[in-house]
Amino acid sequence: MMEKQIHLWAFLQGIGFFPSGWMHERARPEGVFSMDYYARVAKLAEQGCFDAIVFGDQLQSRGAGGHTPERMAMPTLDPVSLLTAMAAVTDHVGLVATVSTSYNTPEMLAERFGAMERISGGRAGWNIVTTAHPATAPNFGEDDLPPKDERYRRAKEVVAKACELWSAMDREGPMLPQGRPVLVQAGQSPDGRDFAARTAEAIFCPAANIEAGIDFRNDLRSRVADVGRNPDGVRIMPGLSCVLGGSEEEARATHAAILDLADDALAIEYLSESLGCDLTAFDPLGMIPVETILDQTILPRADIARAITPAQEKGTPLGAFAANFMRHPRGHNVFLGTPEQMADMMIEWRDAGACDGFTLQPSYMPGGLEDFVEQVVPILQKRGRLRTEYPGTTLRETLGLSAREAVTA
Amino acid sequence: MTRPFILSASIAEATFAVPETAAPILRAAEAAGLDLLVMGRSGTRPFDAQVLLAWAAPMTSRLGLVATVPASNAHPFHVARALSAIDFLSAGRTGWSVIPEGAEDGMAEDMVGAARALWDGWGSDTLILDKASGRYLDAAKVHASNYEGPFFKVAGPVNAMRPPLGHPLLVVDGDDPIAISDADLALIGEHGAAPAATKRLLKVSPEADVASLLARFEAGEIDGLHFTLTDAAAQLPEIGARFASLVKDRANEAGDLRRRLGLPIPQTASNQPGGAVIPENA
Ligand SMILES: Cc1cc2nc3c(=O)[nH]c(=O)nc-3n(C[C@H](O)[C@H](O)[C@H](O)COP(=O)(O)O)c2cc1C
Repeated sequence: MMEKQIHLWAFLQGIGFFPSGWMHERARPEGVFSMDYYARVAKLAEQGCFDAIVFGDQLQSRGAGGHTPERMAMPTLDPVSLLTAMAAVTDHVGLVATVSTSYNTPEMLAERFGAMERISGGRAGWNIVTTAHPATAPNFGEDDLPPKDERYRRAKEVVAKACELWSAMDREGPMLPQGRPVLVQAGQSPDGRDFAARTAEAIFCPAANIEAGIDFRNDLRSRVADVGRNPDGVRIMPGLSCVLGGSEEEARATHAAILDLADDALAIEYLSESLGCDLTAFDPLGMIPVETILDQTILPRADIARAITPAQEKGTPLGAFAANFMRHPRGHNVFLGTPEQMADMMIEWRDAGACDGFTLQPSYMPGGLEDFVEQVVPILQKRGRLRTEYPGTTLRETLGLSAREAVTA
Repeated sequence: MTRPFILSASIAEATFAVPETAAPILRAAEAAGLDLLVMGRSGTRPFDAQVLLAWAAPMTSRLGLVATVPASNAHPFHVARALSAIDFLSAGRTGWSVIPEGAEDGMAEDMVGAARALWDGWGSDTLILDKASGRYLDAAKVHASNYEGPFFKVAGPVNAMRPPLGHPLLVVDGDDPIAISDADLALIGEHGAAPAATKRLLKVSPEADVASLLARFEAGEIDGLHFTLTDAAAQLPEIGARFASLVKDRANEAGDLRRRLGLPIPQTASNQPGGAVIPENA
């Protein structure tokens, strides 16, 4: 029997996963404004036989309580445009764009993804998000986000309607190569998982360790089966960041050096943005200004209280809390070690049922992607766990999914 | 600088949305010396011109890429971001043509106002990108536009440098005009309306008489020509053969589209006269 294959996605939005990554000597923060850069990283992902390149998206102006961070690299150019341009310089790699159902009509979505799907020869994927950041609403003429359950209700309607529109296009014009883009999802809450179970053909999620991965995948597979779909028709792709080295010690030292590029000011800006409250005027050596944060945050207050209370109780100063916060980016697994060890880890996760593959989140760009493609990909290929060529031309074929599954949303 | 003779064409063939057809058409358009290719609305969907523009950006090196944007099926926040990204990817070769198709009166104009306000959100020198000091940008140069029009209300800004062109070129079509007094280019018919614009391109067929059109250009009556393609694969080589002599002296001209076509960066677009500045890193 063929051993379990590992699917690979490359999450390439922005300038890398670590807030300090843009300052790394092998980072090219100016590159995100040029086609040369996108052509180079797209070809690199294809050379590494990745299923797809994934771009996230934010529709809000980044900032914390009116303050724009000065130390964080934060351009978010339109993902559909960037990925479609990448389609023109590659032949196989899939292109997954994050687009919100809360701030697009089904007609806009159907038209954009339909065109992307056709001009890329069937390589489009849609990471369906409902938009969680309250600062998005004013960009669309509204004061507040709709409540989460309403956003998910709308998401179901929008996806169903967009699918109808694609069916109509498929009948009328030249065929859409995949019928419609591959439907991807990344929600975490019970609402989000339920939506994913009904809709998603692939799921991008955080899993900090192998147990978390197994739990998440089992939960999702059983939810998928419960709504009458085949769990083998869904790929679960947790995020994975890494810092590689010739030895484990070397990788750890490199990781420490990247984190050290961040000063207190960067850490506090990162924390400010994550807590939705400007903390840049506070003394890093002082206490965490809990009252101010809870008073001023634009994010759900209970969530924020949960994030800061333990540190407050321990008496951790603001700067130290911010530095620590930055070291644990969003619950994703960060691997430190040699390329061999990384390949071992990936195979272990796959064999244990913790995932179907990984969404690589390079710590900085493009150096982090180069290292992975040059050093880890050949090992996985040699061990028969990663393809050495693409099986077909569409993303659905690359993912090993059946041609067109009905959406039950 | 001598005044450039501008050649433009529009395409709305459904097969342009398929790579096998689109790639040779783009090559033929560049070979014919076209300055602008306007991607219009196809009767057959999907034909999202902004998406096709993004795909065309790395496929071309000189051609100006213009997206038709229907005001009724778009939002300025999305449009401003998409065109800004494409302007970077094409190194300053984008434009847009907002059409009122299906929209209420005033909506297309409101779309223009809102997108322009968003493009002005970051000054041209906002980025610092200094690894040594750790400063990525100058927050003092980031502005929320808080645009409020009859249809669109957009806080802004978008998280990106303003486009290299300041604003992508605004093209208005005399057959489908919108009430904008400061468009960059107007496509005008022999007898139809002639909307206010910095440059005027006369709509003609590929068979039109070259010498008399050149005389009208020299008299300052028009700034160039626009062809509405109905069979691009056949017409582009014909246009190249008949009209390329008018643009021959500019065939290897470098620089962004505003510079090449003699169109200034709009007054509001910048706190600096040049294009957006993307600092180089060591
Ligand atoms: C790994 C991951 C990546 C995500 N990426 C984005 C993104 O790029 N843009 C976005 O608006 N939301 C993104 N989301 C947010 C989710 O789509 C969802 O809206 C949010 O998590 C709130 O829903 P939930 O409570 O069900 O998780 C992401 C979520 C996860 C878990």
